[in-house]
Amino acid sequence: MIIGICAKKHGLESDVADRFGRAEYYVLFNTETKETRTIENTAKNSASGAGGRAVRLLDENGVGVALAPELGPKAMDAIKAFEIRAYSYGESKTVKEALENYEAGILKEFKTNSTESHHGLRRV
Amino acid sequence: MKIAVLSGKGGTGKTTVATNMAFNFKGAVLVDADVEEPNSHIFIKPEMTGEKSVYKNFPVVDMDRCNLCGDCGRFCKYNAILPAKNKVLVFKEICHDCGGCEIVCKRNAISYEKREIGKIHSGIGLGGISFIYGDLNVGEISGVKIISELREMVSDNKVVIIDSPPGTSCASVEAVEGVDYAVVVSEPTPFGVSDMKMVVEMLENMNIPFGVVVNKAGLGNDEIYDYCLGKNIEILENIPFSEEIAKLYAVGEMMCLENSKYSLYFENIIGKIKNAFK
Repeated sequence: MIIGICAKKHGLESDVADRFGRAEYYVLFNTETKETRTIENTAKNSASGAGGRAVRLLDENGVGVALAPELGPKAMDAIKAFEIRAYSYGESKTVKEALENYEAGILKEFKTNSTESHHGLRRV
Repeated sequence: MKIAVLSGKGGTGKTTVATNMAFNFKGAVLVDADVEEPNSHIFIKPEMTGEKSVYKNFPVVDMDRCNLCGDCGRFCKYNAILPAKNKVLVFKEICHDCGGCEIVCKRNAISYEKREIGKIHSGIGLGGISFIYGDLNVGEISGVKIISELREMVSDNKVVIIDSPPGTSCASVEAVEGVDYAVVVSEPTPFGVSDMKMVVEMLENMNIPFGVVVNKAGLGNDEIYDYCLGKNIEILENIPFSEEIAKLYAVGEMMCLENSKYSLYFENIIGKIKNAFK
């Protein structure tokens, strides 16, 4: 299985990113081969809906589990529709730490979106 | 003749100039196209007689036809349609209603449904001014569709004054599309002049003739005059920075109704525009 982690830079030593859909990179860790590779987030400069497109990018790269800081409502819909499981990396500072915490089973799974919509779409 | 009143920076006096101009221009129709924050009606106090909804389309996917090829999702720049594992997600609030997903779909699986994004109100204001304005629903991202319908509603053989949205975004471009003349209202402050330059660039690109009204004249500095002189832009009028005018605005009154000396500013602006078309 491939785990995708939102990252600021390349590799396991990178800090985790502050955002999901507009994260700079995703570090992909293959749990069987223990191999790591980093992909650039091509969704990050989208005019809108970066979260949904980012989920599709993860799916195209075979990701089954995503570790993220937050998930907006559209990203959450997409996570469900692509049947990816997403977990909050909480206090984890680096990609490596996030992975260790995931493997230790202490990360909380996102069941609903953790942030509200933004980009002027917030209902009042 | 269609005249757009626009500014670049917000709060420079578009509505003040548009409403007072409409009041002093016999037979003029006033259109408030600042659909995110319409406020001309506060000043011309219309009796509203009509209302209609403005709709925008969003795609609906027939899953009996769809083979999840992904073409629609790759095409949509705004990520409003997203083919997933066994369904297609549609985020209708970010759909720009361009119709592209239907065109790229090889299986004819996409049709459209409509949803309301705002309303157009019409009525008759003070002095018998015909008036229409658009009002975008809260939370909607774009009022362009409403502005385009407002433009379709006004007849070509009348004088139409369009109170436009601030800035130089899609909404402003839509409001000035096809006008014969534009009145740029600016204030002589660094922000006012900086944003005005962007509007000037936009109007030059669109080949629309224009002149500048300096509102709150006496504030700031002389940069606006140097700039207009350097570019040979006509200054239509200077409206002074005055406590009395500000007070009238704050209680929703048109300055030309309060004191006829103020009408002269707008008669002057109208006269210069008419001259430009002689």
